Amino acid sequence: MKTKSRRDSIRKRKHIEEKYSWDRLSDSSDERRSYKARALIAIVIVISLFLVYATKLYKVQVSNHEYYSVKSDSNRIKIRPIQATRGIIYDRKGNILADNISTFNLVVKKELISDKKDFLDKLGKLVNLDKNMTKSINNQYKNRRLKDITIIEDITLDGYSKIAVDKYILPIIELSPKSKRRYMSPEAIAHVMGYVGKVSDTDIESSVVKIHEGMTEIGKLGVERFYQNILSGQPGFEKLETDARGEVIRVLEKRESIRGKDIVLTIDLDLQNFIYERVKEKEGAVIVMNPNNGDILAFVSFPGYDINLFTKSISTKQYSTLLNDIRKPLINRVTSGQYPPGSTLKPFIGMIALEQGIIDENKLVNCDGAYELDNHSRPFRCWNKEGHGNANLSYALTQSCDVFFYRVAQLTGIDLISEHLYKYGFGQKTYIDLYGEKTGLVPDRKWKSKAKQEPWYPGETLNVGIGQGYFLATPMQLTLATASLAKDGNTYTPHFLFGDKNNKTSELSIYDYENNKFSTQVKDSHHLDIVKKAMWRVVNDRGVGTASRLKKVKNIEFAGKTGTAQVYNLDKGKTGTKRLQDHALFISYAPFESPEIVVTVVVENGGGGSSTAAPIARDIIEYYMDNKPTSVSMYE
Amino acid sequence: MSDYIGGRRKPFSGLSALLYIDAKLVIPIIIITILGLVTIFSSSSGNLDLVIKQLTRITIGIIAMIFIAQVNPDNLKLFAPILYIFTLLLLGLVLIFGVGNSADRWLDLYFIRFQPSELMKILVPLMLATFYADKPLPPKISYIFVAILIVLVPVVMIMKQPDLGTALLIGMSGAITILLAGMSFKFFLGSIISAASLLPILWINMHQYQKQRILTFFNPESDPLGSGYHLMQSKIALGSGGFFGKGFFNGTQSKLGFVPEHSTDFIFTAFGEEFGYLGVIILMSLYLFIALRGLSISIKSTDNFGRILTGTLSLTIFLYVLVNVGMVIGFLPVVGAPLPFMSYGGTSMVTLFATLGIIMSIKSHQRILRK
Repeated sequence: MKTKSRRDSIRKRKHIEEKYSWDRLSDSSDERRSYKARALIAIVIVISLFLVYATKLYKVQVSNHEYYSVKSDSNRIKIRPIQATRGIIYDRKGNILADNISTFNLVVKKELISDKKDFLDKLGKLVNLDKNMTKSINNQYKNRRLKDITIIEDITLDGYSKIAVDKYILPIIELSPKSKRRYMSPEAIAHVMGYVGKVSDTDIESSVVKIHEGMTEIGKLGVERFYQNILSGQPGFEKLETDARGEVIRVLEKRESIRGKDIVLTIDLDLQNFIYERVKEKEGAVIVMNPNNGDILAFVSFPGYDINLFTKSISTKQYSTLLNDIRKPLINRVTSGQYPPGSTLKPFIGMIALEQGIIDENKLVNCDGAYELDNHSRPFRCWNKEGHGNANLSYALTQSCDVFFYRVAQLTGIDLISEHLYKYGFGQKTYIDLYGEKTGLVPDRKWKSKAKQEPWYPGETLNVGIGQGYFLATPMQLTLATASLAKDGNTYTPHFLFGDKNNKTSELSIYDYENNKFSTQVKDSHHLDIVKKAMWRVVNDRGVGTASRLKKVKNIEFAGKTGTAQVYNLDKGKTGTKRLQDHALFISYAPFESPEIVVTVVVENGGGGSSTAAPIARDIIEYYMDNKPTSVSMYE
Repeated sequence: MSDYIGGRRKPFSGLSALLYIDAKLVIPIIIITILGLVTIFSSSSGNLDLVIKQLTRITIGIIAMIFIAQVNPDNLKLFAPILYIFTLLLLGLVLIFGVGNSADRWLDLYFIRFQPSELMKILVPLMLATFYADKPLPPKISYIFVAILIVLVPVVMIMKQPDLGTALLIGMSGAITILLAGMSFKFFLGSIISAASLLPILWINMHQYQKQRILTFFNPESDPLGSGYHLMQSKIALGSGGFFGKGFFNGTQSKLGFVPEHSTDFIFTAFGEEFGYLGVIILMSLYLFIALRGLSISIKSTDNFGRILTGTLSLTIFLYVLVNVGMVIGFLPVVGAPLPFMSYGGTSMVTLFATLGIIMSIKSHQRILRK
């Protein structure tokens, strides 16, 4: 067997050697030459292609190096902002009005969820999963742009520890810390503080706020907005190298954030809360201001709203509830509410007439309950149908006689009235440190022809004389004008800012109110005495003054003026019957001899100034006087 | 007529003579594989495991190369038809039992997994060269048709896998063989026209993802996050490398994962990012040198079999380089073709070394013209 196979293999090899024997091979020189030609063509093609590639690579790597370098860096380098701690806001006594608290967001990286159903089951053991949460998780899970799912926002420290204990059930979840703004007495102080929210396009376009790179939150309204640039500080950043999945590889560069400055406000939180508790069922505005320096001690626009709702993402439903609330809590009535001041304008009309020499203190006007004007079929009525008889200025103010002021207004004329009302600050902004302040309206001939394309009618002058008609003022303007009376023509720009603190030394640099002093020349201080005395009589001339039935405030006397503004020509029939009632107003200052506070009260549809507004002002003055020792600023 | 003597080793001396290898081919190849190892090490952020695995493959490849270099070309000729038919059968098996991701190209033999299509990269030129060996060149037209058939059968089977990239590469290497063997100008023109007319049929038979890749190639912006993304990131990597490169281990695009497949199909990109235009040109020149060396061997060959085979194989290696580099710089669609001797991967490394072995075998076994 063995020899046979060997023989076979030898035979096979022999056969192969025969077939391919060297001798039988031939190589014609023709074939060699023609192959060489083709190979040379191939060489030329190979070298040309090499050159084409080398050129293309040169274009990519050398000519466009710069362009691709930038692209490469933006691929791998991500900038992560480090938010600056926002300054804390204190009231004048050192109470915290707004600070920052640490909260946690419960988040999970999408890529870590392997089985969504299992994930939701385990999550359900950890937290109370309601329908909305499940829906929100599902939505975020589907959104391809999101890498993380936020399960719950703003978990407090308590909630944090509860979840942290059970975290072993679902180790992939993370509690990521964040800082959140917190307001004390959020409703009472809503319109002073405003709130903080996410930076929007309108913020970026705004010229009053400085947007730093990486800033995510910004003051939206109120003091938070006005002092945004002081409070916000400056965000820092981390320059991170990340891989294609966005995972951080290392920190390339880091700049710490700069903390915002703390600020102290002139507000007295206790007074503010006292007032808010007193009025929160109504709608209107209350201001307490120190006429000696413009400090605003209380600034209440009621009803307020919970500004803490706005610091997390407020739901559309909650927002529209606030927006559509018939009581309009979102409106800042103190600086944006424009009201006819009614009789509270009379002291100023009286002052103008005295100063211009139109009347003197003895000028008498006979009031029989109505005042007839030529070419007017209907007489102008006094609130007292019986009439006031012969009245001089002091009596007319004390009794708030309308006929007297019809007459005086007619004598003075609209030109003089409007010119001098401007001097009290009506018709222009008070320049309080808030944005969005309204100017009110001091009507005159020019305004009338421009706005209504009509000439000025004499009857309209009479209406302005009693603070009605076209005339509109904000409660803030009324306060400033009252301060001007109380302080003999010297006023200070109303302000919330007491001072701001140095970050390192905590030293308070106090706001310089003297720089914002304005003086109106008073021709004869006796004129002021007449009007002020009349305002004293309003409160203190028992049985005569419109507010004289008020309970006395212990140890001090104050002066004031009631006002009842008729509003049927404001929003005629738009709302229910309640809306057609008169606005109640009261301006006052206390103590009478050396004024420390000016108190203005406006209650919308509150009825009479003496019955609704004056008692509120009286209680405020009493509270202020009782708590005066503690009302002194810790910084004073 | 018999001008040749049966000389074998006589004209050569030293180690290369002993092992039948060609130093002028081996040295640039060794440099390229080292560059490949360096790039794999860097772009995998220093993963030595990958480097050792690749080194093992290179070693196996070199052993295979030396082994094949010992084989007399006549024996290659003898076994070519058997190997060719055997591999066709394997391709058939892959179509039936293949394993792999989206494309079933792998054959799992329990102890080893390999791609029969890779073997075809050598066997098609070998089979064609064998077919042409005893025929006068340029061949008759009927022979050309047989040659085309030898190429098309495996190409169609590989396309069915579906592996369009490899199928096209093998088709092109077949075309190179047929062109090197020579033909009349008229026939050349005619075949180009008929090949062009076949393109629509090819398009209809392509898979959706293959069509997508080609569409993306012509309009990369249409799909910035899909296949266009690979190309864009590849260009960013190369371009950010600049003239001198970011330096060894400093590449960010590949290391941070922006360049996909940075050790396999896109290894050229990873290399170019770290070593810049300078490195890239040196690398390309090494490949060019190998191609020219191969062509020079083919011109000096003393029979048609040797000429056609060495010529085709060296041009094919260069073709692979052009296809891979063309893909990463946006000249060609992304088809999934490795860079010879550099890309991480086993089958391709071994077959390429085997290719070199064949070239060396022909070079060192050639007969010397009798003076």
